[in-house]
Amino acid sequence: MKNNRLVCALFAFLLAAAPVLAARPAGHAKPVSKPAAKASPAPRTVGLTAEDMPYDVGGALLLRWPVNPADDSGTSYRVYVSSRGKGGWLQGAEFPASANKGTDIDLPFWAWDGSASEHALRLDLNGLFGDASPGTVYRVKVSVLQNGTEVSESEVKTARAYGNWFRLDRLNNLVMLIIIVIVFFVAVSHAKRKGLFIRRIAGLDAIDEAIGRATEMGKPIYYVPGIGDMTLVSTIASTFILGEVSKKVAQYDSFIKVPHYDPIVMTVCKEVVKQSYLEAGRPDSYRDDINQFISQDQFSYAASIDGMITREKPAACFFMGYFMAESLLLSEVGAASGAIQIAGTDIEYQLPFFFTSCDYTLIGEELYAAGAYLSKEPMLLSALKVQDFGKLVVMLGVSIGLALVLLGQWQHWHSLVNFVTDIFKAN
Amino acid sequence: MKLIKKQIPFAIVFVFGMLTLVSYYVPHPRSVAFLDTVSQWENIVSSFAFLLGLFSLFYTHYAKIKRKGDGWGYSLFVFVGFLAVVVPAVISHGRQMSGADMTPLGWSFRYIYNTLLATMFAVLAFYIVSTAYRSFRIKSMQAMVLFVAALILILGRVPIGEILWSKVLGWTGHSLSGLMNWIVDVPSVAGKRGIMIGIAVGAVVTSLKIVFGIERQYLGKD
Repeated sequence: MKNNRLVCALFAFLLAAAPVLAARPAGHAKPVSKPAAKASPAPRTVGLTAEDMPYDVGGALLLRWPVNPADDSGTSYRVYVSSRGKGGWLQGAEFPASANKGTDIDLPFWAWDGSASEHALRLDLNGLFGDASPGTVYRVKVSVLQNGTEVSESEVKTARAYGNWFRLDRLNNLVMLIIIVIVFFVAVSHAKRKGLFIRRIAGLDAIDEAIGRATEMGKPIYYVPGIGDMTLVSTIASTFILGEVSKKVAQYDSFIKVPHYDPIVMTVCKEVVKQSYLEAGRPDSYRDDINQFISQDQFSYAASIDGMITREKPAACFFMGYFMAESLLLSEVGAASGAIQIAGTDIEYQLPFFFTSCDYTLIGEELYAAGAYLSKEPMLLSALKVQDFGKLVVMLGVSIGLALVLLGQWQHWHSLVNFVTDIFKAN
Repeated sequence: MKLIKKQIPFAIVFVFGMLTLVSYYVPHPRSVAFLDTVSQWENIVSSFAFLLGLFSLFYTHYAKIKRKGDGWGYSLFVFVGFLAVVVPAVISHGRQMSGADMTPLGWSFRYIYNTLLATMFAVLAFYIVSTAYRSFRIKSMQAMVLFVAALILILGRVPIGEILWSKVLGWTGHSLSGLMNWIVDVPSVAGKRGIMIGIAVGAVVTSLKIVFGIERQYLGKD
């Protein structure tokens, strides 16, 4: 209960603080619309302001000026920029007067207060000057064109682009992360006190059956960790599962082969398998060639494993990790050899291939949960509860968000629709 | 020993995990430079690790040939294949073309390597047919749904499907391609998104487990 209050208070604080954090730097007052002479042929000026584009790495300027009510379909704007003290003007952009309004800047409401009564342009300096060095003073000006002819020019403004320290537009993401971290620690501390119920996962329950079958048949087990490197969560999850599988293999005195695509993954897996054999009390059964490097070429890797499966006819094949086109090449050969097959990947478009050719398939998040499920350690199991909580939040968010957006569209409450879509937007 | 095997690696994981996480919210050039540097380190480590992999590959196959294990003849091809690429690469100074002429390395790439890759990829077509045959055996209600959806998609891709549809079900006012697009755009995308949301949440939690040291299996035991 206490935690819930804390989370609500934190969220409310961050949202309340957003407009303050999002405020423009001092000295850059919001441009004020000037009454324009209606259809006046006289040169018109624009109330231009130039400042650093907020929440970026420092390669862009933000230009704003009020919309002139006298602008018509023949009016357009041309933006010039220079990095020199004098002259050296480059054309940065040209667009019709109906484009680039304040509301067109793709930032959420807590980070941007643009309106349709002003023009706002993000001027990319890297595209114009190569790598724009930070701290350089740029001069900008805007010309007004009537039917392609320049009729007036704004006064020259100067601004510097610099790197910002916080992506305020990602505040919603940060708040969500903070909530998940809080729930994560609550779940971990809860797991220490009492056990947690975890639903059964058929694919993981079948691991014992697969290893037992291999032991009875006296045939090897193939564990394929896929073509991912150690930066991928699916590969990391695969090494956790390998630890539990190889521990059971050692206990049953069966034999496992782990062919590798990535040498770093191989090095990690060597340690994991060696540790599992130690924990199972069978360090004498461990062999260095359990893990072997095959190739860093996708199809060479698949061809080599296909050859080994065809020749050795393993009793069980595990395909756990990151897979691309080789998924079907591997699993179909395994199915033809008569092996019991258990697969798991987080690449959703490879899942159908595993569904059709394997006996059991772990879908996405089940792959991540598998290590904890097999180890049965309370601390690790608690993380599964956090996954469930995350899904609950998403389900509630989708349901409530959908209802609010539908209501907003129905009642023409555009501010409500924008509010909801900004809250759930990944920036 | 515990300090070297456990605490220092965990401290490295925690610090770099947190810095990488923070850099997602910090767009400053220093944050970008940090990510670039880490990426370069990773590339350097990968390059050295490749040598380790190569050694492992040669050792495994050499041992197999030496003890005349089952299928040891195939192991010879590892060395033959290696030499078939490395020797031309040395002769050709690593270039595939010399002016308009193809070097030995270019020849081995085009007529050995690329051909073998294309063959492997082409095999996929046959596997798709065999796996489709297996999955289209209607044993349950789910298999029935899968079969009907697949049949609509298959027929929707060929002209005869549209002709048959217009003759038999043309009175409904709907086209087969419209139905096919609906299956691809609505139920299929809905299912994919459900899986993707689960994957995203799972990836966040797994990352937290590693960064905060709840999951330490990859570090080995004390």
